[in-house]
Amino acid sequence: MSILALGLLFGGVTLAVMFTGMPIAFALGSVAAVFMYFFMPAASLDTVTQNVYEEMASITLLSIPLFILKGAAIGRSRAGRDLYAALHAWMTRVPGGLGIANVFACALFAAMAGSSPATCSAIGQAGIPEMRARGYSPGFAAGIIAAGGTLGILLPPSITMILYSVAAEVSLGRLFLAGIGPGLLLVVLFAGYAVWRFRREYATAHAIYSAGPMAARNSRPSDCSAATA
Amino acid sequence: MTRLAEAGLEPEAGPEMPQGPLGGVARAVAFANTWIVYAGGIALLAASAILTYSVVVRNAFKIATDWQDEAAVFCIVGAVFTASAYVQSLRGHIGIELLAHFLSPRANRVRAILVDIASFLFCAFFAWKSWTLLHEAYVDKQTTTSAWAPPLWIPYGLMAFGITLLALQIALQIAAALQRRKP
Repeated sequence: MSILALGLLFGGVTLAVMFTGMPIAFALGSVAAVFMYFFMPAASLDTVTQNVYEEMASITLLSIPLFILKGAAIGRSRAGRDLYAALHAWMTRVPGGLGIANVFACALFAAMAGSSPATCSAIGQAGIPEMRARGYSPGFAAGIIAAGGTLGILLPPSITMILYSVAAEVSLGRLFLAGIGPGLLLVVLFAGYAVWRFRREYATAHAIYSAGPMAARNSRPSDCSAATA
Repeated sequence: MTRLAEAGLEPEAGPEMPQGPLGGVARAVAFANTWIVYAGGIALLAASAILTYSVVVRNAFKIATDWQDEAAVFCIVGAVFTASAYVQSLRGHIGIELLAHFLSPRANRVRAILVDIASFLFCAFFAWKSWTLLHEAYVDKQTTTSAWAPPLWIPYGLMAFGITLLALQIALQIAAALQRRKP
């Protein structure tokens, strides 16, 4: 069997086994072990455990459990809500400031926790109800948090970048530095979009509200979602 | 709670404890898991403390560090491997549960058992190879290649113990699932 065919077969079998619902760690390991048994010298199976240990005993890779530990501690604490409350107080005078506060809170939390799902759940818990109460449409409120969460993998320290630096054997410090610029640019763009979108939703809601009492009764003035739907 | 249970696909989800004589073994494993998780948490905190200390003395006092990196590696590797059985008992090892949404509950139970058996076979194989690796490292008095040169049987032993416990945990879950099917 040619190397290309073997590679394709390996990739296909790995995907197929993963889609059965087998935990990914066991799926990768068992497919690799079976392929080693059939296509490699018998002695190679004896070194499987040693290889696993040697790959794991890398000080770069082992920073991930510690980052997760730190993220879990921050996620359990009140840090997310406090951060959000402080930014909200700062931004409350700016039109659309609530959206900006959410984007900034996501960015700061992402920089602390280094994980996108943790950021979404920590800031979203406080941010989405607040935005909904102020008349942001559900899609817009969720979109701000989802977009802000993606900053978690871009702003250093990012767990994804640690994995990339190990897999691609590039400098982790330089990767982190490279993430700062695009990360901050995205923060500014997200905040700008939040203001623009807020003004548009506000204008639509205002137009419906001032169109007449019937229209106002049909769509509550505090709820832009009915207007944009 | 497993994601399957959340999706309502695993109605009798609960503590997956087998009945009868295996129940005692299951309780012993669950008891061991609880304490291992505490020990693993302490090991992670110890690793953070060791690494912080290492960075401080290296940068502030310009003292060469020798044992810190490897001690932290041993702590984290030990915590990861020994806690894997506890994670398995919560069904916390991440998998892609896409197929579970297309199969009937009956086919899903069969699928879950087959997946567990395959996982068990892999873990049992890995455990066996870990014990041979540990034996080799102990007999040959192998050490790491650093200046500190700690014996390699420490991390290998933690790996062998953790994976064996993991295989045992999966076997108990398979037994519980098979017992549930009979009555």
